[in-house]
Amino acid sequence: MINLTLEVLLFPLLGFIILGLAGRFISRTAILTIACGACGLAFLCAAISFFSVLGTPASTFVSNPAAGDQIFYTWVVSGDFQVSFGLLLDPLSAVMLMVVTGVGFIIHVYSGGYMEDDPGFWRYFSFLNFFIFAMVLLVGADNFLFLLVGWALVGLASYLLIGFWYQRRAAVAAAQKALVINIIGDFGLMIAIFMIFTFTAQKDGTGTLNYFMNPGAGGPLTGVFTSLSTVPHNYWRVVVICLLLFVACTAKSAQLPLYMWLPDAMEGPTPVSALIHAATMVTAGVYLVARANPIFEVAPLALMVVGIIGGVTALFAASIALFQLDVKRVLAYSTISQLGYMFMAEGVHNYSTGIFHLITHAYFKALLFLAVGAVIHALGGEQDIRKMGGLRARMPITFWTFVIAALAISGIPPFAGFWSKDEILGSLFASGGRLGYALWGIGIVTAGLTGFYIFRLVFGIFMGSYRGTGPVRHAHGDEEEEEPVEAELASARQPVRSRGSGNPARGAGNGSIFEAPTIMTIPLIILAFLSVVGGFVGSFSLFGDPGWHPLATFLAPVFNTVHTFVEPSFTRQWISTAVSVVVSSLGIGGAWLLYGKGFEYKENKNPFYQLVFHKYYVDEFFVLVLIRPLLWLGRAASHWLEGDALDGGSRAVAWVLRGTSAGLSRLQTGYMRNYALAILFGVVVIILYYAVRR
Amino acid sequence: MLPVSWYLIVSAILFTIGVSGVLIRRNPLVIFMSIELMLNAVNLSFIAFSRYLDSVDGQMFVFLVLTVAAAEVVVGLALIVSIFRTRRDIDVDDMNVLRG
Repeated sequence: MINLTLEVLLFPLLGFIILGLAGRFISRTAILTIACGACGLAFLCAAISFFSVLGTPASTFVSNPAAGDQIFYTWVVSGDFQVSFGLLLDPLSAVMLMVVTGVGFIIHVYSGGYMEDDPGFWRYFSFLNFFIFAMVLLVGADNFLFLLVGWALVGLASYLLIGFWYQRRAAVAAAQKALVINIIGDFGLMIAIFMIFTFTAQKDGTGTLNYFMNPGAGGPLTGVFTSLSTVPHNYWRVVVICLLLFVACTAKSAQLPLYMWLPDAMEGPTPVSALIHAATMVTAGVYLVARANPIFEVAPLALMVVGIIGGVTALFAASIALFQLDVKRVLAYSTISQLGYMFMAEGVHNYSTGIFHLITHAYFKALLFLAVGAVIHALGGEQDIRKMGGLRARMPITFWTFVIAALAISGIPPFAGFWSKDEILGSLFASGGRLGYALWGIGIVTAGLTGFYIFRLVFGIFMGSYRGTGPVRHAHGDEEEEEPVEAELASARQPVRSRGSGNPARGAGNGSIFEAPTIMTIPLIILAFLSVVGGFVGSFSLFGDPGWHPLATFLAPVFNTVHTFVEPSFTRQWISTAVSVVVSSLGIGGAWLLYGKGFEYKENKNPFYQLVFHKYYVDEFFVLVLIRPLLWLGRAASHWLEGDALDGGSRAVAWVLRGTSAGLSRLQTGYMRNYALAILFGVVVIILYYAVRR
Repeated sequence: MLPVSWYLIVSAILFTIGVSGVLIRRNPLVIFMSIELMLNAVNLSFIAFSRYLDSVDGQMFVFLVLTVAAAEVVVGLALIVSIFRTRRDIDVDDMNVLRG
């Protein structure tokens, strides 16, 4: 087995270091070459590793899950306990590495066009490389400690890139929001790791954080997963560990109740939204649940929570996406909703389908974002759907690729999304029980909503007539935002943000709107191709041959402890498929009825519409119950506690010291004879003391 | 031979004279001489005890004290000269720059 995971990790790191140190001084072409080169080489190494895993018989990984484990360096040694830096190559991480570096590479190339005239070009690409590095670390780590390191670094990369246009208050506020919410998740992960350590330490006396230890030839399997999942285990402790892991997942993958940061993350540049906030980083939670499947398998209760949260989130986010006016926000909520699908699949033990949907979603969601990015780029930063429309003729490539992605996400055969989504729905339907059917129903409804909102975008952006007044002439992030936006309300009060609105001196009509440059259209075409054929690695079980499912077969060794997964029967699969396709088509039809002749925005006083339009007032709610009290507390603390109590205390100490020292300094007369007298007096006292004591 | 207490009385008288000199006089040269007086008072008692106890320890201390006194005088005189050069005056009561 050729294992190049270290190279996959190091190339982006190298790119990051070079660009971070020297990016300021080299030309844009050089920056682009280095950044794309680093990511491309990483992709190449990932591909080589992937194919070598593909060529390794599955039994290797079944008998020794750590067969592809490489240990480079021992970080912590404490008695018998040690944590080493190692990278694990197995089918799951191989697939993830491919997706991360592959989609990452495409987006790197695309960014070369999108960020063309941004003053922070080098900074942007060094962050992008840093993100790839962090994500590879997260995916490749062979123990929980380095998983946590990667997890936190990914959050940092996200923070840096959301706040990339730091001159804008809204961007900075969004970045902070993302960081804070992600830290909540990191905290959950950290506690989970502590608990895992105490658990394994109690079990074998030394403790370990490695997923799997390499047992050598014929040795018994050890490691966290074996330790936690073999009897005797303490059921409730494992459940708590799983739930804590899932807290981390909800934060990173933007599930209820920690999803609020993702829509705001759209403040970052659009390619970043595509890469981090749609295709790769947010899937880290899905990856973690899949990675930790042996633990989740022995804690069905936790898995049920995963499924329920996924389902509720899917429906909730899809309903918000229905009527948003900011095109990127629609896609953001759509991402949350699709991630909900993945968790639903994992909730019914069908991890490989969750990963399958993760992959296809990476293709079509990256494509959706990049296509929308091309539109935004052409319109000079306009994100408001009310000021778009009729762009089909002006931007044909963007239009067609967007339609392909829209069909894929709606689950229309034979596009990629169809296969994965249908497999999820099929397994939900097959798992049965009240939970299974409820989740299935949610999934079906969500599929309809998905079809509706995504085609609302298609019609709104590309059909009808152009409603804007030509491209806004604004370089990215150059302008200082005048508006004194209260940071915590930045997103809540402005459901639609359009940069540079209200500028009368705009171009006239759509005559000045042009298709994106080649460097941007080629990535679109590649992703469109993947969105068409990407699903063929997955489900052909529809045609009655359940054995033919290359991806699931490939991933099977990782999930070999999963025993409760119910393969949908032929009939059930077909029923589910038929229903879901019909429902999504209904959604698309609904969008066509409402917006087919062009998008028209009307004030709608319907309370339900208002509720959804304002995103269920979640932001307002949190501002009211959490942020306002916290701010109030902070102000009170800074005034009373800090000002009077703490500062008062230290001021009092200073006052006492100054007084006593002023008194004492009088003794320092400067007259030598005084000192001499003092010494004499001291000597006399000492002598007297000895004399009297005697 | 005289009893040891006589020596000690002389030594104590010398020491007291020295102390009074240090405390009362303002001329650093005189203060130095008084310090020498104190040191030699101590030397005297050392030697007296040395004879009385029939041990050379005390005499060794005397040599040490003499050496230190010599060194101290060198440093002290250098200081006095240097102060005199800058201030044109060596009254110790005027050297009170370090007062609190």
